[in-house]
Amino acid sequence: MKKSLLSAAVALTLSANAVNAADLMFTPGEDSRFSWSSYEALKSTDLSGETISVFGPWMGDEKGNFERVVAYFEKATGAKVNYAGSDSFEQQIVIDAQAGSAPNISVFPQPGLAADLAAKGFIAPLSDTVKKAVVNDYAAGQSWADLATFKDQNGDKELFGVFYRADLKSLVWYSPDNFQDAGYDVPETMEDLKSLTEQIVADGGTPWCIGLGSGAATGWPATDWVEDLMLRTQPASVYDKWVTNEIKFDDPRVVGAIEEFGWFARNDDFVDGGAGAVSSTDFRDSPKGLFQSPPKCYLHRQASFVPAFFPEGTQLGLDADFFYFPSYESKDLGNPVLGAGTLVSITNDSKGARAFIDFIRSPIAHELWMAQTGFISAHLKANPETYASETAKKQGEILRYATTFRFDASDLMPGKIGAGSFWTGMVDYTGGKDAKEVAHDIQKTWDALK
Amino acid sequence: MIASSKRSPLTYLVHATVLFLVVIWTIPTAGLFISSIRDKDQLSVSGWWTALSTSEQRIVDRANGPSAQAQEGDLFVIRGNLLTNSSAKVTKFGFSSLEPEAFSAGDLAEMRKGQTLQVMPNGDYALSSPTEWKGSRGQRIFYTAEVPPRFTLDNYREVLSAEGLGQSFLNSLTVTIPATIIPILVAAFAAYALAWMRFPGRALLVAAVVGLLVVPLQMSLIPLLKSYNLIGEFFGVGSKTYVGIWLAHTGFGLPLAIYLLRNYIAGLPGEIIESARVDGASDFDIFRKIILPLSFPALASFAIFQFLWVWNDLLIAMVFLGNNEEHLVLTGQLRELLGSRGGNWEILTASAFITIIVPLCVFFSLQRYLVRGLLAGSVK
Amino acid sequence: MAQLASALVTMLLGVLGCAVYFYGSNVLLDKVFPTKSGPAQKVARNLRISNTIRPWLFLGPAVLLLTFYLFYPVIDSIRLSFFDRSGDEFVGISNYVWLFNSDEFFESFRNNMLWLIVVPTAATFFGLIIATMTDRIWWGNIAKSLIFMPMAISFIGASVIWKFIYDFRSGDDAQIGLLNAIVVFFGGEPQNWITIPFWNNFFLMIILIWIQTGFAMVILSAALRGIPDETIEAAVLDGANGVQIFFKIMVPQIWGTIAVVWTTITILVLKVFDIVLAMTNGQWDTQVLANQMFDWMFRGGGDFGRGAVVAIVIMVLVIPIMIWNIKRANAEMEGR
Repeated sequence: MKKSLLSAAVALTLSANAVNAADLMFTPGEDSRFSWSSYEALKSTDLSGETISVFGPWMGDEKGNFERVVAYFEKATGAKVNYAGSDSFEQQIVIDAQAGSAPNISVFPQPGLAADLAAKGFIAPLSDTVKKAVVNDYAAGQSWADLATFKDQNGDKELFGVFYRADLKSLVWYSPDNFQDAGYDVPETMEDLKSLTEQIVADGGTPWCIGLGSGAATGWPATDWVEDLMLRTQPASVYDKWVTNEIKFDDPRVVGAIEEFGWFARNDDFVDGGAGAVSSTDFRDSPKGLFQSPPKCYLHRQASFVPAFFPEGTQLGLDADFFYFPSYESKDLGNPVLGAGTLVSITNDSKGARAFIDFIRSPIAHELWMAQTGFISAHLKANPETYASETAKKQGEILRYATTFRFDASDLMPGKIGAGSFWTGMVDYTGGKDAKEVAHDIQKTWDALK
Repeated sequence: MIASSKRSPLTYLVHATVLFLVVIWTIPTAGLFISSIRDKDQLSVSGWWTALSTSEQRIVDRANGPSAQAQEGDLFVIRGNLLTNSSAKVTKFGFSSLEPEAFSAGDLAEMRKGQTLQVMPNGDYALSSPTEWKGSRGQRIFYTAEVPPRFTLDNYREVLSAEGLGQSFLNSLTVTIPATIIPILVAAFAAYALAWMRFPGRALLVAAVVGLLVVPLQMSLIPLLKSYNLIGEFFGVGSKTYVGIWLAHTGFGLPLAIYLLRNYIAGLPGEIIESARVDGASDFDIFRKIILPLSFPALASFAIFQFLWVWNDLLIAMVFLGNNEEHLVLTGQLRELLGSRGGNWEILTASAFITIIVPLCVFFSLQRYLVRGLLAGSVK
Repeated sequence: MAQLASALVTMLLGVLGCAVYFYGSNVLLDKVFPTKSGPAQKVARNLRISNTIRPWLFLGPAVLLLTFYLFYPVIDSIRLSFFDRSGDEFVGISNYVWLFNSDEFFESFRNNMLWLIVVPTAATFFGLIIATMTDRIWWGNIAKSLIFMPMAISFIGASVIWKFIYDFRSGDDAQIGLLNAIVVFFGGEPQNWITIPFWNNFFLMIILIWIQTGFAMVILSAALRGIPDETIEAAVLDGANGVQIFFKIMVPQIWGTIAVVWTTITILVLKVFDIVLAMTNGQWDTQVLANQMFDWMFRGGGDFGRGAVVAIVIMVLVIPIMIWNIKRANAEMEGR
């Protein structure tokens, strides 16, 4: 029994190893779109024999994309990088940090969580050189640096991470073919979007696919909706105060934004599967409804990373496209853009970890993922020509030239709110609970944190 | 026992009820297994109980682009085939998302400006137009295909290689085997001492073991994590090691192990032990030569218990073992897949089946001992 | 391959180390205080000494492990519950105050109570029924094996199995979840089972009942066999029918065993964590204490103080069972 088990296990490991070797996608030096000079610069750091562990939220195809980028770092420096992705990253990183077994590098989907850990002394601050480079190299560099600057356990402010991969959230995805078949036009204002929604229902279709399911993180897609609508119904200054809780969560202005989201998500006719299905539908499955036969919905509001979850073979720009989640014509608030980014930090210091951070903030690391799917970058030196599609390039431009750009509020709130009760609250809200009550509960949790 | 000799209506009712309950209890697992060997496209559109019948799939595909057109007489024609699976059959088709099933296979569908589309049951299609096709995008074709049932091991191949389940399988074994053997050794000695050796504080220790039996192990996580941290630092290793999790499983499994084994060992005939003592054998000799062989059934039953418990554990592994490739155990991997592949049932069902296959084998081959051990612990 | 080799080596080292300790320490004791030969007076003295020491050689590792892994954590959790989130600053009873003002706590407490009432009752009930019936039919053992089988499946594996059964497809799509397929077959509307507040708790409980019924069945079946045949024959002669025999004779006879099964499952229910984590993670009003504790400890930076408070609540709930267990064990010891 035991012997046969072991031999089976041997066979299993052998087959597992076969897929690990990632080849380089582009031969260094060949394609002139890429900043190969920053790749060559890496070679001066010799890390052979060193292993760098990286832990982040990317799994599946995204994990593959990231590993193909990292392969260049491994090739140039000789280091070995072990990436592990987890869907319960928020919990696992805390366990690991507490246990003193944190990975060298952690990729935080929420700066708020990083701030929590930095305050406990679990993250190593980055040097001033890195800070200067971030300020210079990123579009609106100072604000990106500020977003990654937290208090350490002594209360001193330090830079604790570098943003890699920005997400543009104010996007609505659709299938141009389906729009053409049904004779719909891309709406320019929120009023148009709402009447388009009603029009689709009148024509017998279902306008929206909304899915909040995300395993342990279920609920977060709704927070993006609320934030986007917050920026469209209130001035950005109100948004900023909401993030810091100067304006309470149960303020009528916040409740208003939640109810605005409810206009879309709590109407059985407006969402695929009815309002009851919203909270349990997986956010990764939700966009697939756009491409089914017949289409289950016409519109899907989700961030720039979502093409990674489109059905295999979907061509951006041809089969799928996006438009800007429009603002109200009746309100004079400009065209605000909501975004987010993943923060790469050192949770276990080593020479290799420092070198990895240098790699992550170099243009080549950005370009290599830009050439795949689901990545946009605020890095000024990363060549926009490397974007794999016109769609991604367009998003890159929106991000780079936005006048009112705001970072995802839930990612900046304390972890217990932004990665906890805000999520659960939104699940409760789509389940039929009153918006005021939900907002009040969230504020109660926030009060209890102090 | 009572009515077995008589064939009364009641007997038939008993047969029927038990059969009904057995079916209910087995169906969930059976469904999982059948689903895991189905073709993934079929799995996502039809229930596993229809696995043997033809399933209907509605697909949207794009015809070859205008670059593939050829002039046939006055018409510009684009030809191709939609089906990848040769035994499938197209029944209906359409060219607009509004009416994806407007035409039966073989019909000639009029599109706009004299353009036509024809799709044959075997998947061959022809787009023809009096004027040249322009642009770069191909016409979308919606079609409904009947696909005969197909069973495959592809799902297993996929999860074992691409999803890293093979590695996790090995990790689970590395955790489970020592975490099963060590507590048996430790507990057997302790159980013997508590059953047959005289020393002050024995009754108190027995009471403590019984009390600790019910301590919720979640309580232990924080304090232990902190201690592991310190110990790890002291030895200059990380706090997440295999040794750490073996000992953790040992510690958590001990109360039950000691309790079960003590009950069993205390029930052995005292005369044998007394006569051995009289012959001058030390307790160690008695333990080695008499107790161990005699308590084999109890040891085996606890071993199965502990094996199942450790193999199936998620919480302790999540906390005391990392979730990088070298450490992630099967249950952890399955939970990750549940999160990241929420809707991909072909991945989930195959992975779940792999995680339960080992305990099921152990269970069915050694069930006798398990039952005996359970009885030693609970029925007195 | 390297992993396999190193795994084997570490496994061997771990197991060998353990064996060497027991063997070595006992041999050493025999060497230092020889009892087999020498002057009688010395032998007697050595015997006394080694008889005092040896129990602790046998018990040593177990006592150390129990202290470190179970006893010390209980004490430390109590201490931590009076400290702040990182466990550094004493905050008095404010964590307890917070807990009893938290709606989330009452939600999980209510759910836990539901679990505590429904799961042990249902599992014991089904176990008893099945045990009685399978004893009367020739294929009873096969039936028992199949019903016992879910015991071998992990909670997380069981969650996948049942998630598949509860699966929900919107609109007119064919349902691939069995439950919805049945509902649709009988002309009902498909439901998204795990998101229906309150009732979804029961759908999660079914999973644990499914797993635990086999356990109850096996033990109760053995207890039923232990009832003397004469008792039942006498009842039959008195003209009692099957149902009367079951309730008036069999059930009272095995009452003690039923209580054991009940409490064992109750303890398990208090610790239930994996099923809720995998199925809903406490969303849609299905939170339970064990998952809530995990959540407070490790989500959003972690809060040890509040996590510990929830752990204490679980502990308090267990104490009556613990005392009952100890009493029972003591009674047993005296009875021997």
